[in-house]
Amino acid sequence: MNFARRFFSRPTALFGFAVFVAIVMIALAAPLLFARGPFAIVGMPLLPPGAPGLPAGSDVLGRNMMIGLAYGARVSLLVGISATLCATCVGILLGALAGYYGGLVDDLLMRLTEFFQIIPAFVLLMVLVAFLQPSLESAVIGIALISWPQVARVVRGEFLTLRSREFVEAARTLGMRDTAIIFTQILPNALPPIVVISSMMVGNAILAESALSFLGLGDPNLLSWGSMIGGARSAMWVAWWTTVLPGVSIMVTVLALNFVGDGLNDALNPRRRH
Amino acid sequence: MPLVSIQNLTVALPPSADRPLAVDDVRLEVGRNEIVCIVGESGSGKSLTAHAIMGLLPRGVTAASGRILFDGQDLLQQTPEAMRKRRGRDIAMIFQDPMAALNPVVAIGRQVTEQIRAHRAISEAEALRQAADLLSQMGLKDVDELLKAYPHQLSGGQRQRVMIAMALSLSPQLLIADEPTTALDVTTQAQILKLIKKIQAEREMSVLFITHDFGVVADMADKVAVMRHGRVLENGLVGDVLGKPAHSYTRALIAAVPRGESRLPPPPDARPLVQVSGLTKRFRRGGLFGRGTVTTAVDDVSLTLSRGETLGIVGESGSGKSTLARCMIRLLDPDGGEVLLDGADIAHMKARALRPLRRRIQMVFQDPFSSLNPRQTIGDIITAGPRVYGEEPRQARARAADILRLVGLNPETMNRLPHEFSGGQRQRIGLARALMLKPDVLIADEPVSALDVTVQAQVLQLLDDVRRQMNLAMLFITHDMRVAAQVCHRVMVMRHGKVVESGPTRDIFARPCSDYTKALLAAIPGRQSI
Repeated sequence: MNFARRFFSRPTALFGFAVFVAIVMIALAAPLLFARGPFAIVGMPLLPPGAPGLPAGSDVLGRNMMIGLAYGARVSLLVGISATLCATCVGILLGALAGYYGGLVDDLLMRLTEFFQIIPAFVLLMVLVAFLQPSLESAVIGIALISWPQVARVVRGEFLTLRSREFVEAARTLGMRDTAIIFTQILPNALPPIVVISSMMVGNAILAESALSFLGLGDPNLLSWGSMIGGARSAMWVAWWTTVLPGVSIMVTVLALNFVGDGLNDALNPRRRH
Repeated sequence: MPLVSIQNLTVALPPSADRPLAVDDVRLEVGRNEIVCIVGESGSGKSLTAHAIMGLLPRGVTAASGRILFDGQDLLQQTPEAMRKRRGRDIAMIFQDPMAALNPVVAIGRQVTEQIRAHRAISEAEALRQAADLLSQMGLKDVDELLKAYPHQLSGGQRQRVMIAMALSLSPQLLIADEPTTALDVTTQAQILKLIKKIQAEREMSVLFITHDFGVVADMADKVAVMRHGRVLENGLVGDVLGKPAHSYTRALIAAVPRGESRLPPPPDARPLVQVSGLTKRFRRGGLFGRGTVTTAVDDVSLTLSRGETLGIVGESGSGKSTLARCMIRLLDPDGGEVLLDGADIAHMKARALRPLRRRIQMVFQDPFSSLNPRQTIGDIITAGPRVYGEEPRQARARAADILRLVGLNPETMNRLPHEFSGGQRQRIGLARALMLKPDVLIADEPVSALDVTVQAQVLQLLDDVRRQMNLAMLFITHDMRVAAQVCHRVMVMRHGKVVESGPTRDIFARPCSDYTKALLAAIPGRQSI
């Protein structure tokens, strides 16, 4: 297919996609590979990587870092992807309504969007998660709540230009209902930028989740990359691997998603490249 | 020796293009002190030939072989720096869209003086004086104000005059004009054409004029070259080519130019199907804290339309003709007046009550590229209407095949996407979409203005056939008097939202009453000679 060829012709997109797929596989396979779970203590604390049975070393409590990293991928991806899905759905809905109807609807929805945009996002996220009690769900809700305005703005912009296109006017003269016009006529044409921005948002959501967990606001029953760094920060100077390895995991994942986003952008909007 | 002599020029397109050569073995001469027109349809290579002379071929497009001799020197062998110096000084160019060619954030004065000072070592004040001088030679008034203005504050005609002034600021020997009047209103077009002709005579320059319109050729050219598919088919004095066209394609092109005389009989006397009275539409702009401005786009317009008849609405841009159509089909909500369809006022009907009536008025749009949803197949596009009204998808598709055949398309194209079709074919698809609902009234909003002349003629013929077969009442909106004459029984001329004049087409053309209509008719290019 033409789209796939355009996407994979970029080395960075290919790399990003491959890394992302690998991380997803690890996350899915973690319970099969490591049945004992990430919290099990397997030996002496702070053993360096390469110690017998510990390819990534052990942490301050003597837990297998390798297992922690694999299980951490589950949390990061789950939060990143579900928060992005929620934010994208809300953003599309509100952005579409604002852009299609314009006027008063647009004014009200855009003021609401701006309300969320002028509050420091991470402060809002921390307050929200603390208020809802730290858990996987509250992290997803909180991150979705600070991310949707971005989607809503992009969708509104696309709808503003698309709604005055003649094929939309034609649909109106045919007697099509507004909901049908929004979802069957305009939305498919507005999808490329939404896909691009969503792929980037997954990366941002993973970063936000890591930051939350680092501060101890993550789900206490789950080990995530952020909480691994947070728990090991006192040992940072004596056992570098306890913070560097989860840190690198976050970085590589986010980088891969950004590469995928760039690749999608080029593949979906070939004309906007130059 | 001619000023420009193009010898066996071949321009190659990048491998990804749909054909290998854009310009194929072209021979062409532009003598001193003469106007040569290249005429052709889109994709004929006329523009790329001109760009090759300027040394401004797009990336990936290269002059593969041949020579372009300018005053005896081969331009294709020049270094980029030498070509840069020639551009503006020896060869200047004006474009179709002056808005895109002018920098929107720099005042007109700066843009003209920059051009002069890039080539000549003179002071800012001196350059400004020259610029003012040039602009007034272009027939522009209030030059001092104009020099301080920004491009968006000017009208299209003023912008094109500024572009011509910039092009002439260094007294080039050759002026290349690439469709310079295509984006302009017909009366403005006539003024710009006259200006170019006058300047050419005064300065004894050579002009290479690129156009798709044989009417313009007849008014402008000393010599004409007809191009198609990258080749020059015919080349000679304008009188010879127009009088005795040797090539069948040239004959087809000349025949396709609408004549500006009505062939249709007077309108059938029938009970009106649509009655519009006192229709008014105002647009408000700004106004949250300020007062805002109100423009009346359609001002107290009344008209009637019967089955089997075509009413042409003619006007220049800003005349309100499109707004009128959009109010009648309720894409816009009118502020006053009524639109009676079979006695029912649809102008102020609520959306729910209006929906079942929508199918009775359908529309064909102007832009063949934005009027079809790029992500839907042709079949989905034209069966969308019937499906809204609950028709079985299978039955709708069967009917779609018939309608596609009616508009001259192969029904097997139903699974294809719009981008696989040409502009003319897309307009046929747009018409098929409207006809699927078996409308009583068809509104055609500039349906042929984006099409090549030969395609234009075919689509106009099709519209007329369909109107007759389906006994439609047709409202035909156009800026082109010639086109209106071809398909309309009656014509209504609009200006600034008001009706200037209306009546049977023959009467309007033979005995126009208002000065504005007379000016519109006088501005038709090539009226005397074609």
